[in-house]
Amino acid sequence: MENLNPKKILVVEDEPSILKAVVEVLGMHGYQVFSATDGEHGLALASEVKPDLVLLDLILPGKNGFEVLKELKSTVGLSDIPVIISSNLGDEEEVQQGLKLGAADYLIKADYDLDEVVKIVAKNLKPA
Amino acid sequence: MDLTFSFFNFVFLLGIFTVVVITIFLFQYRHLRRSLWIREQEMTRRMYQLSILRELGERIGYSLKIEKIVEVIVGSLRRLLDYSTVAYMLVATNAEGKTRITFNINLEKPVHKKFIENVKGSMLVSLNALLSSKFSTDDIDETVSGTITDPTSEEAVGSFFNVPIVIAGAPTGLLNIAATEKGLYHGKEVEILYTIMNQASDAVSKLEVVLRIEKGKLNSMVSSMADGVLMIDNQKQLIVINPRAKEMLGLTKERVAIFDILDALANQIDLRTKLEESLVADKVIVVPPFNLNAIFLQVLISPVKDDANNLLGEVVIFHDITKEKELEKMREDFTSMMVHELRSPLTGIRSIAGLLATPTVKSDDKKYQEFISLISSNSADMLGLVNDLLDVAKLEAGKFQILKKQSDIKTVVEQRVASFKTLAEQNSLTLASKIDASVPAVFEFDEHKIAQVLNNFISNAIKFTVAGGNITVSAFLLPAGKDLAKSVVERSLVWPGIKSGVSWPADQVIVATTDTGSGIPTDKLGKLFNKFVQLESSARSEKKGTGLGLVISKGIVEAHRGTIGVFSEEGEGTTFYIALPLS
Repeated sequence: MENLNPKKILVVEDEPSILKAVVEVLGMHGYQVFSATDGEHGLALASEVKPDLVLLDLILPGKNGFEVLKELKSTVGLSDIPVIISSNLGDEEEVQQGLKLGAADYLIKADYDLDEVVKIVAKNLKPA
Repeated sequence: MDLTFSFFNFVFLLGIFTVVVITIFLFQYRHLRRSLWIREQEMTRRMYQLSILRELGERIGYSLKIEKIVEVIVGSLRRLLDYSTVAYMLVATNAEGKTRITFNINLEKPVHKKFIENVKGSMLVSLNALLSSKFSTDDIDETVSGTITDPTSEEAVGSFFNVPIVIAGAPTGLLNIAATEKGLYHGKEVEILYTIMNQASDAVSKLEVVLRIEKGKLNSMVSSMADGVLMIDNQKQLIVINPRAKEMLGLTKERVAIFDILDALANQIDLRTKLEESLVADKVIVVPPFNLNAIFLQVLISPVKDDANNLLGEVVIFHDITKEKELEKMREDFTSMMVHELRSPLTGIRSIAGLLATPTVKSDDKKYQEFISLISSNSADMLGLVNDLLDVAKLEAGKFQILKKQSDIKTVVEQRVASFKTLAEQNSLTLASKIDASVPAVFEFDEHKIAQVLNNFISNAIKFTVAGGNITVSAFLLPAGKDLAKSVVERSLVWPGIKSGVSWPADQVIVATTDTGSGIPTDKLGKLFNKFVQLESSARSEKKGTGLGLVISKGIVEAHRGTIGVFSEEGEGTTFYIALPLS
């Protein structure tokens, strides 16, 4: 069952308990998970580990999710990484803005379900 | 004989009697006729007065001009009097600000030119006497009407009389009746004209007062309105604009034309089209709000009609809805804060709880414990927030209660400092207290609530001070009338950004927390204790917390009849202080 070449997922989320849960559940599903609690660290980690997918919260301390998304999409070597935005604003406009900026998909935290997170991550990962 | 005598006597007596009766009768009859004639005269005069007053009443509705009223009287004068000319003189200030005399003479019968000059001359003398003025014939604008002048007729004025024209208690002119015949006018005629003139003047005076009051009311109402108001006439010309409208549109010049208004709004709305729209639709139209010169404006346009449904023009009202917009934004921010601050930890709890059920976590005791403590701390955070919100709600409902009793502020401060010591050390901060000997051993306050305030001050200071910084909690007695800044300096305390001019009429215990943090910009200082502003900034802030702590602290301090305040200097640090009155 042990995956020798696991996919790398970067989770950027400022709420520690959510971060914990997501990291845990993705770990259970055999992903190698990296985490950051703010935008700056998220970007640094993305450059360092070149993840296969980024799960990005929109409301973040310091640099917000949109800024992080913009930078990811304009950085050579990172622009192809699929980004899933997770917004707890549940705001249609925010989601649209995220998708416009190049997000692959979105999650609304109001109906946050860990199974859903796993499904959406699997769906958006590029086939090896 | 006796009988004959009696008969003759009887006839004779009867004759005398008859003569007497007839004489008496005739006499009575003449007397009766005379009194009838007098009464008829009286009736005629009264009828005349009445008719003139009625006519005046009707005409006054159209015009308040005294000239018109005098003309009404002049026009119907012939029903009462026999005269050659009737004239009036009125003093008025013309458009150029010059005082002129209007002289109007109506010739009922042909008179000599000299006659007119004579009337004019004598009226001018009387007018100058009446007004204590020194007008000359140069000041007179003359109008002659009626019949033609006749060079063969009498030059001299045979008889005349003047009646002053008084408006609102001030003489403004003169009415003159003149005739070529001598001795034509007596007390009665003069008296009637006096009465009529007085009543007319009275009516005009009263109407003028009413009109002035109404006009004043309207003017002051329009000019003092918080809304901007302007009105245009049928020709699309601006007829009224109040100061507020000019201010809103950023127009500074004295005389404003419709084009200035169209220009001022050109980037936001096409007012010309909107005016047309309102006219065509024949109803009020509301333009969607827009921002102009940093204020949110709602514009209403409405056609204005008179009673007979004739279009008079259009009125445009500018309503400042900046406050409403700000409030709306605050509410939105409040919602997003609630989402961020309550939903995030709740989502976390749910996710973690879900994981607790999975075999992987169940079998890993360390992980299991870790998850349990996450749930516990998340729920504690939420409970704190809910408590804060409840406190704010109580404050707003005026149901916030404090329990004052004799307590020792020194102990309260030291306990708070001790409880934050570890957290401060973890953040590489020095936390110390500096309690002055002047602080009274005990005084009345709610120690739990004041401790809550200090918790808030100290935790904020720790949050916003970078490693290596200092936090000092100080307390001292500030005597009545003494300047706070002066007292701070005297006690060798450093409060960055402190300003003099703060003092109280009674002794105060001052408790303050000073940090060496980044400081707060001056424009934000005043908003620190505002619920919505605090919530808004916290939703975007990198630091946790709702910022409601300061709002609640303010409520606690004010419940003590105390004062809460802040001084700050960017890059230097911030001091939050409370002043609690001793009595």
